Amino acid sequence: MMDNETILQTARLLAEDIAESMDTPAPNRLDIRLNRAEHLMPIVAGLRVKRLGYLAAIVGLDPGGEQDNLEVLYFFCPGAAIVTLRLLVPKSEAQVPTLSEIIPSAEPFERELSEMFGIKIVGIHNPTHLYLPDDWEEGIYPLRKDVEVQAFKAQT
Amino acid sequence: MMEKTANEQFTVPIGPQHPALKEPGSFRFNVDGEVVTGATVRLGYAHRGIEKATEGRNFVQNIYLLERICGICSDIHATAYVLAVEQLAGVEAPPRAQAIRILVAELERIHSHLLWVGVAAHEAGFDTLFMYSWRDRETIMDILEGLTGNRVNYSVNLLGGVKVDVDEQQKDTILKGIEFLEERTKHYLDVITKDAMFLQRTRGVGIFTRTQAEVLGAVGPTARASDVARDVRVEAPYGAYKDFPVNMITEKGCDVEARFVVRIRELFESYRLVREILNKLPEGELTARFPRRIKPGEAISRVEAPRGELFYFVKSNGTDKPERVKVRTPTICNMTSVVKLAVGHQLADVPMILVGIDPCFSCNDRAVSIDHHQHGREDWSMEELREYGIRFYHGHT
Repeated sequence: MMDNETILQTARLLAEDIAESMDTPAPNRLDIRLNRAEHLMPIVAGLRVKRLGYLAAIVGLDPGGEQDNLEVLYFFCPGAAIVTLRLLVPKSEAQVPTLSEIIPSAEPFERELSEMFGIKIVGIHNPTHLYLPDDWEEGIYPLRKDVEVQAFKAQT
Repeated sequence: MMEKTANEQFTVPIGPQHPALKEPGSFRFNVDGEVVTGATVRLGYAHRGIEKATEGRNFVQNIYLLERICGICSDIHATAYVLAVEQLAGVEAPPRAQAIRILVAELERIHSHLLWVGVAAHEAGFDTLFMYSWRDRETIMDILEGLTGNRVNYSVNLLGGVKVDVDEQQKDTILKGIEFLEERTKHYLDVITKDAMFLQRTRGVGIFTRTQAEVLGAVGPTARASDVARDVRVEAPYGAYKDFPVNMITEKGCDVEARFVVRIRELFESYRLVREILNKLPEGELTARFPRRIKPGEAISRVEAPRGELFYFVKSNGTDKPERVKVRTPTICNMTSVVKLAVGHQLADVPMILVGIDPCFSCNDRAVSIDHHQHGREDWSMEELREYGIRFYHGHT
């Protein structure tokens, strides 16, 4: 396994022409900001080819309030390094491409992201619910900030 | 010969009640005769919405909530969470507290691996091994109870430190217990690698090649049994693992037997670590001062749970409650492998393959649901649960 600096440098080179911006929140971390969904796949494919494609998690974030965007974070954790791809997704057209063609283990993470945040995963093999019940009401995405915990109680 | 069409496939549903082990998950296996040709998995039967629930609780309350994600590896969840929040607050726990944290983590790993040996042996129809390993596991349960007061949910962690200390008497008890377990574990290693009947259920079953393990993102002992050197304690040492380095244990067998051997060998490594920590326990305070409100920021914490890498992402917004807590448990990473692995195997081997990854469904789902016909609905409020508890105990005294 490469050392942290080599890993981060490799990732930096991959993202150089595509990333909106990059920063290093900690010595072992690199955050790559992307503002278009189509920029995601080239970097993911590059990481996979460079054998840095261990996808540790996909995290959805809803900034809440009047914000128009959701944020999707893809964490790649080769060795001790953490490379984060941060993608802004408009709430009005929330969709991201699936990573599962390149990284098969992404599928359960993507299905969770999709049902919890209402983000459509384009090209996913199995788009059904992973955790939520089959009869879960359409359009209620539990981890969005506008959904109150109280709302679940009212449903039952 | 008749040509086969896809319609001729027969689907065997396994679960959601107890698919080979006593937890809920639903698998559907397409079979051609006895051979599995395809598999799908449906989870969520134990989904409690814990990630959402963390957003309504303060940083301290969340330790106790997150510790209840899993009854087997409860301590490691709290450890991962407090490490993340400590990063956000810029506070580091004192060295003695850090060492006690990993001491309990290793004791928990011993209990979890011994539990797994029993469950896996039971699935193979080897109930004698199940009973012996669970009897011996009581030693470690007593140690944990003596140290923390609890058999599960040890509540060792605090923000900025730990709650329990280890005195000389406890140290002696732990060392004696470990000595006994080490002897027993040698015997188990002997049994699982030599018993001919048992080997028929494990050797060459559920082959998961190194490449598959890497590509499918397997973690923990499941990955290490396929010769993938992935252990957060070694790769990215956290807390006191920097001072007490761990040796990576891998096996090249790639089958269910290798998954047994890896976990048993990890037990020896944990015994060694426990001894080393107890003998070199740093002196000093158990807690550091910790602020109530946490400044805005994001933190990632990766720790090695008994089942593999546990990933926590915590985002704070300057208040006393987190903005977002994401928990990525090891079982979800390994679940993909079960589905792929089962294809081509006899249906009767499926329980061994499933149990080989040491799945933990409550980790996976992070959830609970109660079926209560009197109320005619499934969800109860905290108040109703409390009243029910009081009524229940009055009726039973």
